[in-house]
Amino acid sequence: MSNESSNELVVNTAPHIHGTMTKNRMMQYTFFAILAVTIVSMALWLNVKTPSGWDLGLTVAIGALIAVGIAVGVDLLIGKLASDSEVNTWSAAVFGLIVINCYTLGFPTMAVGLETGVPVEAPLAFFYIALISLIGIVVFKKVMSLAGKKFVNPAAAAKFLVLLPTLPTTLITAFHLKTGLLQVPALAGGISASSIINGNGGAAFGFYLQSCYGLPGLKSPASIESVMFLAKYHGWVGGASSIAVIIAGIALFVLARKYIKWKITLSYLISIAVLSLMFSFIYADADLTTRLFFELFIGSSIFMAFFMATDPATTPYSGVGQIIFGVGLAILTIVIQTYMNFFGGSLLALLIMNLTVPLIDRVRINKPFGR
Amino acid sequence: MANLVAIKEIKDVARKTPIEIFPDPKIAVMLTNMQNGATNAPLVSVGDSVIIGQKIADAKERISAPIHSPICGKVIKIENAYNSCFEAPTEAIFIENDGKKTKDKSLSPISESELKTTTNEVLLKIIREAGIIGLGGAGFPTHVKLAVPADKKIKVLIVNGAEGEPYDTADERLMIEKTDNLLRGVRVIRKILGNPKVIVVTKDSKVEAIPKLQATFGKEPDTEVVAKHLTYQQGDASMLQKAILGYETPSGKRSYEMGTIVQNVSTINAIANAVFEGEPLISRVTTLNGDIAKPKNYLVKIGTPISSILSANNINVTKKDSVVVAGVMMGMGLPTLDAPITKRTSSIIYFKAKKGQKSTVCIHCGRCLSACPARLQPVAIYNAVVKGDFAKAEKLSSKDCIACGTCSYVCPARVPLASNIKMAR
Repeated sequence: MSNESSNELVVNTAPHIHGTMTKNRMMQYTFFAILAVTIVSMALWLNVKTPSGWDLGLTVAIGALIAVGIAVGVDLLIGKLASDSEVNTWSAAVFGLIVINCYTLGFPTMAVGLETGVPVEAPLAFFYIALISLIGIVVFKKVMSLAGKKFVNPAAAAKFLVLLPTLPTTLITAFHLKTGLLQVPALAGGISASSIINGNGGAAFGFYLQSCYGLPGLKSPASIESVMFLAKYHGWVGGASSIAVIIAGIALFVLARKYIKWKITLSYLISIAVLSLMFSFIYADADLTTRLFFELFIGSSIFMAFFMATDPATTPYSGVGQIIFGVGLAILTIVIQTYMNFFGGSLLALLIMNLTVPLIDRVRINKPFGR
Repeated sequence: MANLVAIKEIKDVARKTPIEIFPDPKIAVMLTNMQNGATNAPLVSVGDSVIIGQKIADAKERISAPIHSPICGKVIKIENAYNSCFEAPTEAIFIENDGKKTKDKSLSPISESELKTTTNEVLLKIIREAGIIGLGGAGFPTHVKLAVPADKKIKVLIVNGAEGEPYDTADERLMIEKTDNLLRGVRVIRKILGNPKVIVVTKDSKVEAIPKLQATFGKEPDTEVVAKHLTYQQGDASMLQKAILGYETPSGKRSYEMGTIVQNVSTINAIANAVFEGEPLISRVTTLNGDIAKPKNYLVKIGTPISSILSANNINVTKKDSVVVAGVMMGMGLPTLDAPITKRTSSIIYFKAKKGQKSTVCIHCGRCLSACPARLQPVAIYNAVVKGDFAKAEKLSSKDCIACGTCSYVCPARVPLASNIKMAR
């Protein structure tokens, strides 16, 4: 923008002053917001042991270091090797944090991982986290940047790609129905908060939530609401505490006001709530909160809503587009979770919605001045 | 309009600094073209003697405005010079000052009592011959703007005292110090436009100007002084009209077709000087601001080299610095200090060792869309322009851009949106 060579002065194009917000600052704010969430998860999970004796909190800490380290390191390396590549240390660090936070850890009570060899436990988990971070930064951040546009959320895409081989065994919960220690009823039917094993041998949905997401080894499990909202011990690292995600997320919205796409988060959460209640009526659930709290507050829903669905590069730029995106994401998420039994299906929903962004960006409701 | 971006004003000192007369230049560099209209040709040759106010360049076309000599002296050369109206150097008449004060009297002024009986033709002729153009930045010949077709009735004259540019205070000082002259100018415009209602608009932050305007314009029939909270973008005529009258002029139409004329206070001041004093547009008020100890408001002769204003203030400009003319948001960065003051130089802003904003890749945050006061999609237009697809840019309403620069101002990636969109216009 400036041309110092042939002129007596530095010549810039108008405007000659700028606002205080820069890409780096946005990324710094985002980094510290997600870091806060990561620390809360780590603290909550400290001293919780997996079946093979690994400390879950320690797993999160090491995983975070691995993911961020690889992302930042590879970003720097590519910046060194390819002179025209932008080095975005903060952006890479944010990506690394998202990788660890959208990784699924836990299964403390189910021990499914032990039976099936799925990568939910350290030290195998570290290998997968490293792989996701590496593939994400190289393929989905750097290579897509060369194409001029990021089409899909790098962390979501990399996780999906790396864990695709384990899709039927790990990601899709239907498998748990058949092989897990716990018989889980599907969402495509009436569910209830009941803690009693129901007649056909399967657990009531509420019981599943309490025992799968609650603190393992607790004699009388905490209420579904407190488990889902305050402290979970299974699932996405970033979703351990929904309230922590909400507080950090809102703090970020306030700090980086007008630069973070909060309309996506809001429209997504409202749509999820409305759709959950609709499904509750359709399937005549025994109560209205169980399905609602599950759909709203599982880690893949709440963490994604605040920190992944708002990724600037892979979401629509207009306000109307962001609302369309949020609503679409909610519909897809609920459908995938209900009919595919893919709990955490928001990951797939996000990738699909990301691909629709170029189309959504063409939607134009705001008429220009004087038209 | 809830999303207008607030831009911090750097005016605290400048707005309290009274207008000072800057000494006449030793050599005046008179660009033959400062207007937005037909190209002028010089009326003088090298070696000719000229006097103050003598017409030295003009064109025959209707949409044009002549240029006058600001000083007495001799034409020493005619060649291209850098300027702040156009990116490339354009033709200029260099006049060496001989120190005499002989004035050209060909512009026959009228007295205030004669205004009622003077025809519009005569008034518009004076404005045209005085070389008056829109001094708020547009540079459009004022006599053309005020010659509203007979079938269009002007209902409202908005006096634009918003002065949005964050470093500029020339208009503000005029409203404080030349309020009576502004009233005279408004009366002339009112006479020409068939006595429309007058709304004098200024910003609530111009605390010294507001009481002056109220005292002077308060007694005038069918005249209102509005001091409002206005953002930078609302200094634009179309945005101001929306803020005051609540409607938007349809795209492609001129505001007079909707019964409104918006006129900037500097232009009104020039009209009063021409009509009642017989003084063509050979000087203007310019703010000197930026990274300097003492900001100034100068009444300066057009053609004065900007270097002389800076050196008079002991500003030692180095190669690392930058000097911007006519506002930090919309103005131009000067490649050389030899550039002269033009009719459109509302301000000179000096930045010490200003780093060029390094442009990076767009992150698609959408901030430019929510910030655009014209509700455009700046980044989409930018992408079209970069690809050379001007048809697409136009389809995205690039012509409705008001060039306010807000998109670039807010862009966290420092993408040069505004300057590229300007190319599409």
